[in-house]
Amino acid sequence: MLELYTSEPNTFFLKPLIALAEKRVPFSLRYFDAAGLEQFAGGFPTDLESTLRLEREGPLLVHDGTTICGSFFMLEYISEALPGPSLIPADSYEAYQARAWGQFLGANLGSSVPVLGAAKYLQPHLAKLDPAWVDRRIAAIEPVERRAGWQALRDGTYSAGYLQAAVDRLAAPVVRIETSLRQSPWLAGPTFSVADIDAYSMLCVLPDLTPAMVNPDATPRIIDYLGRISARDSVLTARRCARTQHPERQFVPGIEASRWG
Amino acid sequence: MSLTLYHWEPNANSGKPMLTLAEKGVAYQSHYLDLLRFDQHQPAYLAINPDGTIPAMVHGSRVLTESTPMMEYIDDEFPGPPLKPRDPKARWRMRWWMRFFDAYFAPSLSMIGWQIFVGPAVRQRPPEELRAAVDRIPLESRRIAWRKAIFNEFSAEELAESKRRVLFATAALERHLSRFKWIAGDSYSLGDINGFNLGYALPLSQPDHCNDVKTPHIMEWLRQIYERPAARETWAKGRTQMAARIKILERTPQVS
Repeated sequence: MLELYTSEPNTFFLKPLIALAEKRVPFSLRYFDAAGLEQFAGGFPTDLESTLRLEREGPLLVHDGTTICGSFFMLEYISEALPGPSLIPADSYEAYQARAWGQFLGANLGSSVPVLGAAKYLQPHLAKLDPAWVDRRIAAIEPVERRAGWQALRDGTYSAGYLQAAVDRLAAPVVRIETSLRQSPWLAGPTFSVADIDAYSMLCVLPDLTPAMVNPDATPRIIDYLGRISARDSVLTARRCARTQHPERQFVPGIEASRWG
Repeated sequence: MSLTLYHWEPNANSGKPMLTLAEKGVAYQSHYLDLLRFDQHQPAYLAINPDGTIPAMVHGSRVLTESTPMMEYIDDEFPGPPLKPRDPKARWRMRWWMRFFDAYFAPSLSMIGWQIFVGPAVRQRPPEELRAAVDRIPLESRRIAWRKAIFNEFSAEELAESKRRVLFATAALERHLSRFKWIAGDSYSLGDINGFNLGYALPLSQPDHCNDVKTPHIMEWLRQIYERPAARETWAKGRTQMAARIKILERTPQVS
């Protein structure tokens, strides 16, 4: 029995949909409305890991009774546990590079891209809902780190300076990705891997959110890379799981930025 | 192919590949960098790892600088006992906990460690020398961390939040180890190597919260890893009081 709990095919929620489509493995889709805070409504399968933190509100994969969470490791799990083509390079050094990218992208894109998306789309969306209901829902979120991510949308944290800092944090990672794509067609080397699924799911919204940073002149390799991945059957299949007109506009606040600076 | 590891003390990120290599029985050239003398920001090392972070491993022409994926590489590439479980669910659990250690537990624990140990240790030197040393750090996030540690700029709120997280994570780890003997499940793995490097001194640094009464599963887990020949061999390479803290894990003789 394989069930995927996920939301609109964008950012964290898009990743396992692509990987499962690459594998061509049948699964049951359990859809929830992340922008409507349904992930905190209860009734979801839980385990110690999924209740602790990290991407608590991200997708969950339930496989024969085990709840798999954490979107990058979910990709590795899908690659290793399910039949179909491997999504982890066979060469140990390329596999290292895929995992090192997973670590790097989680820390560097996972904390900034969702903030910019949430400012542009989630904040106005919440403003249309009953404020008392939204506040009640947010006040009930556990753990406190996740609650703080949502409260930041309501309490004035999202200042121009805060959003600019999120843009600034993206500059170095974007350059690193662009440079890497000059050396090889995919992030971990000659083969498409979990690193590309991870990167694509976050990068694909940047031409919209940070057009001055990610565009055909500034980052030609990234634009070409996004085009190549968008055309894959797996991505087209994953995107067909959308239930709104604009899945690329659905965001949750994401992983918290490093507390060290 | 030659194998060189650039590392500091058997502790935190440096200790992860050191203990993994020892468990696999892989010989390597050891290159000790003194973190407290900023060896990792000197041009010779920046030529190997431009980010100036420790550790780095060079295997032939391959350069590896992320310590957790580095452990998986060591296990994939070299013979010796496997350190990743075969079962995909146990493997996922191992990786999930390693990220919990790396991204949640370690930053809070190390903020406290830097304030108590690293800051005072380097603060002996002239401020202008320290400022120049900080200016040479390539990554902005590391520059901020060093500046705060050196000049004692961690706020009371930041430290209190780090302490809260350390206690929360310690309690979570105790719960986990009461479900499973090892981090991944039934077998010793990279997850235990990672967690041990993070937590071996917890009974010393958090004696009220990590002890035989409150966290018996963590205590037994730490002692069992400490008793492994590979851990003995690795911590014998320590040069500072920091690594010597591991002695807290000696089993005290039982009086009958």
